[in-house]
Amino acid sequence: MAFEAMTPLERMAAYNKGAVIDRLPCVPIVGNTAARVIGVKVSEFQGNGKLIAKAQIAAYRRFRYDVIRIFTDLYGQAEAMGAKVYYPADETAYLDVPAISNIADIRSLQPADPYKDGNLPQHLEAMKLTLEAVGKEVPVTGAITGPFTNAAFLIGTENLVRLVGRNPQAVHDLCELSLETALRYAKAIVDIGCTPSLTDAMSSGTIISPKQFQEFSYPYLKRLIHYIHSRGKTVTLHICGKTDKLWDLMVDAGADSISIDNVANLLEAKVKVGHRVRLMGNIAPSEVMLQGTPHDVRVAVNQCVQQAYDSPKGYIVASGCSLPTETPFVNIDAMMDAVRKIGDPVNSEKSKKRAV
Amino acid sequence: MANNKEELLKQLADAVVDMDEEKAVELSQIIVAEGIDAYEAIEKGLSAGMEVAGRLFEEEEYFIPELLMCSDAMYAGLSVLKPHLKAKEGAAEEKVKIVIGVIEGDTHDIGKNLVKILLETSGYEIIDLGRDISPQKFIDTAKEQDAKIIAISTLMTTTMDGLAEVIRLLQQQDIREQFKVMIGGAPVSQAFADKIGADSYAVNAATAVRLARQLTGGAA
Repeated sequence: MAFEAMTPLERMAAYNKGAVIDRLPCVPIVGNTAARVIGVKVSEFQGNGKLIAKAQIAAYRRFRYDVIRIFTDLYGQAEAMGAKVYYPADETAYLDVPAISNIADIRSLQPADPYKDGNLPQHLEAMKLTLEAVGKEVPVTGAITGPFTNAAFLIGTENLVRLVGRNPQAVHDLCELSLETALRYAKAIVDIGCTPSLTDAMSSGTIISPKQFQEFSYPYLKRLIHYIHSRGKTVTLHICGKTDKLWDLMVDAGADSISIDNVANLLEAKVKVGHRVRLMGNIAPSEVMLQGTPHDVRVAVNQCVQQAYDSPKGYIVASGCSLPTETPFVNIDAMMDAVRKIGDPVNSEKSKKRAV
Repeated sequence: MANNKEELLKQLADAVVDMDEEKAVELSQIIVAEGIDAYEAIEKGLSAGMEVAGRLFEEEEYFIPELLMCSDAMYAGLSVLKPHLKAKEGAAEEKVKIVIGVIEGDTHDIGKNLVKILLETSGYEIIDLGRDISPQKFIDTAKEQDAKIIAISTLMTTTMDGLAEVIRLLQQQDIREQFKVMIGGAPVSQAFADKIGADSYAVNAATAVRLARQLTGGAA
C-alpha cells in the first residue's frame, strides 16, 4: 500500500482552494466490485445494509480512492415504487417488470417512503454505517437515480421513449412522481449526513435529443439539485453515453461536477464547460478497466490527465461509469498508482514556471 | 396515373418520416384501392421512408423516440400492404436472413430492436429471437433458417462472454465459416470483436446496416 500524505477529505479541501496536494483526486467508481473485496456474492447485498457498508468500507481501505458511493444498481427507487427487480446470484440486479405496463395505471403509483419501501432503508443504513466508520476521512455519497431514468423503470424504457413522442404529459406525470421519490430519498440521505450523487442513465444524448432532455429531464434535475444545494451539499451528476450537447444544460441544472462517459470527449468538455463545472471521467469501464492490462490503465489515466488536469473548475480522475463487478483489482490499483505518480500536475507546473 | 402513383409513394415515405401512423395506414389503403403494386409501395414508400429516418438518426436529427415512432408508422402501413403482396414476388426475391437477439443473461433490448428495424427495412429477413438467448439457440436457429449473419447484442459486461461463446461453439462444431457474426452493445468494442474473432462490431444501428451489406457482399 502506497503511503499517502493526505486523507481524501483533506485532499479535496486543499484541491478546492488551489493549494498543494499530494495527488489529484481519483475515483474508480466501485459498485458491486466491493463484494469481491470481502468475498461475498452480489445478491447478498440485497436487503443487507450492514454488508453493503462492510464491503464499501473494505473496498475504500483496499484502494484508497477519494469518494465512496453507496450503490448496487439503478433500480432502488423504482423498486420502492412497485417495479420488480431480479437479483441474479452473483451479478448486478436488473429490472424484471416495470411498476406499470400501461399509462392508465399511473394512479396506482405513489412516491416511495425511503424509510419503509423496497431496499431504500437498507441503503440508508449502509450510508450511515459507512459514514460512521470512515466519514471523517473520505466523502460518503449515496446514489440517487435521476427522475427521467426512474420514470423509464416505472413503465419500461421502450414505453417511456414512445410516450416522449406520443404523450408528453404522461412522461411529465411519471417524472413528477419520480422526482417526489428522489426528493424524499435525497432528504433522508442528507439527514444522515451523506451527500446525494445523481445518476441519470436514460437522460442520455444516445437516447433522447437535447430538446427532449430540456423538456423532460432538465426541469426535474434542476428541482432536485436545487433542493440538495439548499441543504448545503454539492452535486455530482453522471449521465451515460453521449452528452456533449447536454453539458451546458447539465451545468444550468446546477451540477457542481459532471461525470462523463468514455464515449464523450474529455478535452472537448474542458473547452466547452470546464470554466463552469468540475469534470470527472472518463476511463473506459469495460474496454480498459475490465478487459485491459495495468499498462492500458496507466496509458488511459495519463491521457485523461493530460486532457483535463488544467480544467478551470478542476478535474477528478474517474472511470467513465460504474466499474463492472469483475474489474481486476490490479487495474484499480494501477489507476490509483498512476495518479499517485502524476502527483499534483497544476502546482508542479507552477513551481517549474517559478524556477525558470 | 403515373404521377399519382409516384406522388402517393412519396407521401407514404413522408408519412413514415413524419411519424404519422394514421396517415401511413390511410395512404396504404388508397394505394391498395388504386391497384398499385404492394411490393413497390413497401419498397418505394415504407422502406424509403425508414431509410430517411435512419439517416436522420445517424445525423442526430432524430433520436430513439422519433425512430421508434417512424417504425410504428412503417409497420402500420406494412400490415395494410402485406396481405396484397403477390406470392411470386416473395419467392422470386429470396432475402438474406439474419438471426438477431440479446445474449443470455441480458434483457436490455432497445438497441437490438433498433438494429432489427433498420435491417428489416434495408431488405433483410430478420429472425428475432428476443432477449436472454443462449449461445446454442443462436446457432441452432441460424442453421435451421440458413441465415447468413448472426447478430448478437449485450448491454452488460457480465454477459459479454456469451458472445465469445457463440463463436467458440461455431468453431467446435466446425461451422464457423458458414456464418458471419456481428456484435454490438455498450460494453463491447472493435477490440473485443477482434479478440473473440467476430466478423464485425457495429457501434450503432445505422452502422449495423452498412456492415451487414459488407458482410453479405452488398446483397440486400
